[in-house]
Amino acid sequence: MSAREPLIVQREVKPLDFLAAGETASEFKELLKSLGIPTDICRRASIVTYEAEMNTVIHGGGGVMSLRLEDDAIIIVAEDQGPGIADLEKAMQEGYSTAPDFVREMGFGAGMGLPNIKKYSDKLEIDTRVGEGTTLRAYIFIKGQREE
Amino acid sequence: MSHGIKINKEACKGCVNCIKTCPTEAMRVIDGKVRIMEERCIGCGECLRSCRHRALSLKENDWDFLSSKRSLAVVVDPALCFQFPWRPYPDVLSQVLRNMGFDPIFKDAALAFDLTALAEARLLDGNSDKRGPMISTYCPAVVRLIQMKFQELIKNLSPVENPLEICIDLWRAKHVKHNVPAALVAPCPARVAMVEDPVGRDASSADYVISVTRMAREILTNSRSVEHLEDSARGSNSRWVRWASLGGETAHIKEFAEKPVRSLTVSGMRNVIDLFQELELGRLKGIDFIEARACNFGCIGGIANVESRFIAHQKLKMLASSAPTDEEKLLLDELYETGIWKLQEEIMPVEQAPLGMDLAKAMEKLEELHSVYAELPHLDCGTCGRPTCRVMAEDIVKGSGSIEDCIFRVRERIAELSEEIHVLSKKLIHTMTPEGENEDKRDM
Ligand SMILES: Nc1ncnc2c1ncn2[C@@H]1O[C@H](COP(=O)(O)OP(=O)(O)OP(=O)(O)O)[C@@H](O)[C@H]1O
Ligand SMILES: [Mg+2]
Repeated sequence: MSAREPLIVQREVKPLDFLAAGETASEFKELLKSLGIPTDICRRASIVTYEAEMNTVIHGGGGVMSLRLEDDAIIIVAEDQGPGIADLEKAMQEGYSTAPDFVREMGFGAGMGLPNIKKYSDKLEIDTRVGEGTTLRAYIFIKGQREE
Repeated sequence: MSHGIKINKEACKGCVNCIKTCPTEAMRVIDGKVRIMEERCIGCGECLRSCRHRALSLKENDWDFLSSKRSLAVVVDPALCFQFPWRPYPDVLSQVLRNMGFDPIFKDAALAFDLTALAEARLLDGNSDKRGPMISTYCPAVVRLIQMKFQELIKNLSPVENPLEICIDLWRAKHVKHNVPAALVAPCPARVAMVEDPVGRDASSADYVISVTRMAREILTNSRSVEHLEDSARGSNSRWVRWASLGGETAHIKEFAEKPVRSLTVSGMRNVIDLFQELELGRLKGIDFIEARACNFGCIGGIANVESRFIAHQKLKMLASSAPTDEEKLLLDELYETGIWKLQEEIMPVEQAPLGMDLAKAMEKLEELHSVYAELPHLDCGTCGRPTCRVMAEDIVKGSGSIEDCIFRVRERIAELSEEIHVLSKKLIHTMTPEGENEDKRDM
């Protein structure tokens, strides 16, 4: 379903794998840098990836992260076959979180992930079905592309 | 960019220990010898630690050349104070250096470190939470790491000049007439690089570099008795010497800050990189100041120290340092107003060349990179002279390597070839009769 645009890289994320947290984010960042994408866009992509990855790890029961490229946008896709989000509007609000206690003790669950993804991306699509899973697609437009 | 490391080609065995410890993947082994990619090296000195053949050292000036100079001003990294069997008071060291014929810049060093701490304290007092924490620029390896890998944090770097530069500037201002060159005593490659190729200013105020190793050795062989010096020298300001150890800068800043400073101190390359990663992801909140050092324990952990970092750290406790006096504060205020503490130039990012000229070309290259990578064994053995298979694939698509550099690939090729030879050898020539078969069958 999300195989529309050319794929840059795809990574599987395991459920509750906190040790690997951030690895995908920094890998995506380095990849984008090597493609000559401006650093502030790389950073935004890295934050979006990190938050989406953490949601997949914590709430989604693991899944697949991919980085795709369209003519004028990079797309970060997080797919899982987890429980889905019952009330998406609520989930998008700052401070709303269903994270269990042990996750909160690790410093997550402030309910800032989705709001931050929205803030740092230019377009956000979330396709979620309770009991089936969630697919998040965050677009970041590449504006000031280098000449030559 | 200069990196402050000297390679002794004769000693280098071409083993790949060093290239695997490099945090920025800046090393390769080519034609049996190690090579450092200047544009990627941050001078942290991790490679020096891992070399068992002493093929890597600090790029310092020749001792005989320097000691033959009529006069030479010497400014020391605070770490030097901790190398000796006596207490780490700077005044003792200053006397020792004077006895050796040098012109030690110590009073101005004390002043310069005070001034830096004061300037940073004032910046922190005026800082708002929105800008994120201020990151110390004292460790040149950390500054370069940020320029290279964490460009988004450049704006957080403290815009304050390195006190080791300021002290030479202060000293020069007072000795304009004498054109005396100055040498910096450095505990790590990054400090050497700071002199050769400084960040945030056009040229360093220091002219030469001596390693802590060399200077400590000369001092230990030249000055037998310092007991009489030790007793007479407890008077002056030794606050600056604490910067040699992790936390010293923060403690100093706190002495001048009006508001409480929520600080975080971190040392060792791995910790520093992890911290910056978290910082870039925006997960760290409520911190005003970050003191990050490439070496464990701070500069006393630098590779060119002779004294153990554990003992050096213990020695810090022998150092009673007093708070600045009112008189000192007045002088510092005056100096602060002159702005001499300001970094002269903006710190710029160091961009790595992208894979292609434009996005389409870069994408093509990236796909190529992925398919080359898929061909490699993913053992990161280093035999190809690169730290990882991933770097090897990168080098290949950038045109500086071939798949035959991989010993496993070559082995496979040989296996394929020998299989082919075997098959060929079994192929019959028309005039030959296969063994165990009669001619009748073959005719059919
Ligand atoms: N992939 C997902 N699958 C199921 N539920 C999700 C998923 N992503 C988010 N949610 C739900 O949306 C809520 C809000 O997500 P958000 O990322 O904003 O906050 P959080 O993950 O709880 O905390 P934080 O991101 O600040 O650590 C989550 O608590 C969870 O209930
Ligand atoms: Mg979240």
